[in-house]
Amino acid sequence: MSLVPLALIAELTHRCPLHCVYCSNPLAMQKATSELSTAEWNRVFREAAAMGSLHVHLTGGEPLARKDIVDLVEGARSAGLYTNLITSGLGLSEQKLQDLLAAGLEHIQLSFQDSDEAAANSIAGARGHAVKVELARSIRKQRVAFTMNIVVHRQNLDRLEEMIRFAEDIQPDRLEIANVQYYGWALPNRTALLPIRSQVENSMRTIRDAQERLRGRMRIDYVVPDYYAKYPKACMGGWGRRLLLIDPAGRALPCHAAGVIPGLQFNNVRERSLEWIWRESAAFNKFRGEEWMAEPCRSCDRRQEDFGGCRCQAFLLTGDAAGTDPVCSLAPLHTLVEGEVQRSNGGPVNGTLPQSPVANEHSWTYRPNPS
Amino acid sequence: MALPEDNSRPHLAPGCRWAEPSNGERTVLFPEGAIVVKGTSRDILEHCDGQRTFAEIVQVLEGLYTLTDVQKIKREAGSFLEQLREKRIVDF
Repeated sequence: MSLVPLALIAELTHRCPLHCVYCSNPLAMQKATSELSTAEWNRVFREAAAMGSLHVHLTGGEPLARKDIVDLVEGARSAGLYTNLITSGLGLSEQKLQDLLAAGLEHIQLSFQDSDEAAANSIAGARGHAVKVELARSIRKQRVAFTMNIVVHRQNLDRLEEMIRFAEDIQPDRLEIANVQYYGWALPNRTALLPIRSQVENSMRTIRDAQERLRGRMRIDYVVPDYYAKYPKACMGGWGRRLLLIDPAGRALPCHAAGVIPGLQFNNVRERSLEWIWRESAAFNKFRGEEWMAEPCRSCDRRQEDFGGCRCQAFLLTGDAAGTDPVCSLAPLHTLVEGEVQRSNGGPVNGTLPQSPVANEHSWTYRPNPS
Repeated sequence: MALPEDNSRPHLAPGCRWAEPSNGERTVLFPEGAIVVKGTSRDILEHCDGQRTFAEIVQVLEGLYTLTDVQKIKREAGSFLEQLREKRIVDF
């Protein structure tokens, strides 16, 4: 069966007015001067559509930091792609919003750091929350699919219900509540971000109740923290199976984080066609199929479902990108994740658990701007 | 489950649209996903143009399939549309 990159993730720039402590951008960011041009991006959009891609996710950094964002939306849409803008909203004037919609933008995904202004600004390392709330209301007045995204973690998960009410008041079509995943800038901040077990359990109940209550009005999707899962997530639907990411400088990657894996050479759309990169490049073929798998994945019944979990997480935590994702309860090095979870819960899992997060004095590592 | 009213006019929700037809297949695109619709699902959805009422759509289906059990068609088409509404793909 031939694989098709159903969605293209276009990381238009790594520049961003926010400095979120869990940003999924790589620690080594691409400079503004190395970014692809408008024409180069538009060619990438056409090549992706020709290969059968259906969606493009315009993201960053902050995609609105690109002066040509309206042209890029128009280029993506006229290539036939379903066009989604993933944005903090900062830089989006009423006029820009109208221009983007006129250019064919179909879905806006607006990220929030919290429902509480002070907490949100502290996570973002910038004062943006109040502006976002205003923006959310004006986006809602437009005829466009609108998703609000709120990232949750140890510091705010106790206020999940309040955050759902906050979204409910704005009335997006969809609310995505996503637990932090530990890549990029989140990994150095993990101790302060990893929730405790009771928070996770309570959150599942809160989400279920809210889904029931809001059925047919606002769809709620919940991304659970994989450190508390029994089996790993099928990261990106499997390496090089469904998604293709282009970074600001034109490097093609199977996911946001893949650049951390040593020994892989990621080809650039400036030098190769998208089709060649997807089908032929060594990097995209590296973890396709099952040949690369070791035990316990190789003989596991779930290997077609989760593909051994996330290659980047396996590398970041164990040093071996081909190993079983250590969040898997069957992984030989699962103790690495278990240990982190135990530490987060204030001792052995069977011991006395703290009832609420330790109000720990932490110093965040904020994501800077690329030079 | 809230089935569509007879006089409601089902249509694709904002930000959801048909993809260009390819290989005779029809696909609905929506945020973060796509569905290929076939058979009855396709017949139902292709008539959800915001002009026809739900009762009229049921009438069309009745003709297409020469079925006589109108209540059954209504139930099945209605619950299909309700499922899509929960996913925010259809409004009525």
